[in-house]
Amino acid sequence: MLKFNIQRTFVHAANKKNDAVASKQVLHFKGEINLTGVCAIFGDSGAGKTTLLRCLIGLEPCEGQISFKQQKWLDSNDDAKSKINLITENRRIGVVFQEPRLFPHLSVKQNLQLAVVKAGKSTFTIENLAKELGFTELLHHQTTQLSGGQKQRIAIARALLTHPQLLVMDEPLSSLDLSSKQLLLPFLKQISANIPILYITHSVRELFYLSHQMLLVNNGEIEAIGEPQQLFLDNTLSLSKFAHEGLIVEVAVQQFDEQAGLIEGHLDGQTLFISAKHAPDINSIQVKINSRDVIIAIEPILGSSLLNCLLVTLVNIVTDNEKSMILTLKLDSQFIYARITLRSFKHLNLALGDRVYAHVKTMSIIN
Amino acid sequence: MLNVADYQAIWLTLKLASLTTIILMVVAPALAWWLARSQAKIRPFIESIVALPLILPPTVLGFYLLIAFSPDHFFGQWWMSFNDSSLAFSFSGLVVASVIYSLPFVVQPLQSAFVHLDKSYLEVCATLGYGKYERLYKIIFPMLLPSFIIAGALGFAHTIGEFGVVLMIGGNIPGETQVLSILLFDHVESLEYAQAHQLSFILLVFSMSVLVVIYGFLQKRQQRILNA
Repeated sequence: MLKFNIQRTFVHAANKKNDAVASKQVLHFKGEINLTGVCAIFGDSGAGKTTLLRCLIGLEPCEGQISFKQQKWLDSNDDAKSKINLITENRRIGVVFQEPRLFPHLSVKQNLQLAVVKAGKSTFTIENLAKELGFTELLHHQTTQLSGGQKQRIAIARALLTHPQLLVMDEPLSSLDLSSKQLLLPFLKQISANIPILYITHSVRELFYLSHQMLLVNNGEIEAIGEPQQLFLDNTLSLSKFAHEGLIVEVAVQQFDEQAGLIEGHLDGQTLFISAKHAPDINSIQVKINSRDVIIAIEPILGSSLLNCLLVTLVNIVTDNEKSMILTLKLDSQFIYARITLRSFKHLNLALGDRVYAHVKTMSIIN
Repeated sequence: MLNVADYQAIWLTLKLASLTTIILMVVAPALAWWLARSQAKIRPFIESIVALPLILPPTVLGFYLLIAFSPDHFFGQWWMSFNDSSLAFSFSGLVVASVIYSLPFVVQPLQSAFVHLDKSYLEVCATLGYGKYERLYKIIFPMLLPSFIIAGALGFAHTIGEFGVVLMIGGNIPGETQVLSILLFDHVESLEYAQAHQLSFILLVFSMSVLVVIYGFLQKRQQRILNA
């Protein structure tokens, strides 16, 4: 359990021209998360995600209370005696920053040894992490010779070697190539079974693939904490504009038609065909359905090239702006969004609770 | 060829430079770190004092030191309270003067390295579990090793070339205060040009070598590390 109620005050220097007093900006984060697996931190740029993480790590001065499990990390009340501010090195957090931040004067192995020497014991060893993350042959290289993806893999290994009780990552994969991401995402998911991870990301793919919990940060505050699926359906959140682009659904793989290059899957019991280059090696895939790629019909469209037709219930309607409507469509337990024009909406004469046919043009598999 | 007095002066000079460099390498890192990081109002003032020997005529510094060393002055008195002889015209006096005189040459390369050091490295050290001081001597200082070598080399070379201050407070006592630069002056005054040539050449080659190593190798190496 991670509990925090903290305030971070930024004082902007007084503007001499207008003779204004120094202006203050206060970020106030309050929340309680039962940390298991990956908890994603999501929000617009500048919303305060990184500041929140830096306060939790102890790299940024703040006021308030932070506790992790039975440990108090911060308690800055007025009573001087019970004041607590555990220094970063004693919070035992493994940190992966946005940039790898490896020490340039040391080899890969020496960088990792710095963590090992200090941690003493560890569930990981340099050798098995190097093997798993594919940098065994780089161990004796200088870090300055490596690519960004290689460096970040080593930075992740270094964080794990500190024997952390919590891993904190600030967009660790944002600057990496696809192959590095494909290697690291399953690895992080596997790690999170034993070590909880707080994970800042801007990527919906990473969010839905990794996490079952998310923390929505908006305007220097925690706006919501919950399951990604639920928060993406909540039209009252700042997230909704972003969520309306499209939702992610779980599809159970039935079979793969190699000649046609199509996966046949079940989405809440309804059949769905998804194009793919090769057979999936997992039996449940996550598929993103963009709201613009969903066509609504009162009757099934026949004699068209459309492959997929889902029977859905219209459960919510919001106006995105003057010209388009966002329809929330329920399958059985899962949802998709459809974006249609106001004109079509009126033309179809839709109402809440209607059963309609949703034809899906294209989909992308995210895992 | 070099005579006994020459060898004695060379030995004395090396002894003086080594001792001065050792003392400076203990004192300067902390001072340079403070100068690089502190927001205190007094910082520019301290920085000026440290840099003063760069522009102050050495004879001025030597003159004030001579006065400070005199038994009439409280510093001289304090020194005499646990020593038999005065600091003036002694090897110990030269060491004290050299430390002050060469301080900016050691502090400035270090200060520059500390200013250019990306603060994020310190944060990484903390997340790896390294404490406030431990992270400096175990990770950061080794990372800035080229700058430490530059600082030490400049301090050493500058002490070897010291003349004005030594002349004021050291006099010209063979084996005690007669360093290379003073002996060279002696040779020239006595028109012993052959010996003056030899000593000058030694000093020239030494100084040049130090600078070539610093500019041609150490500085580039440090920049590569700092810009990584």
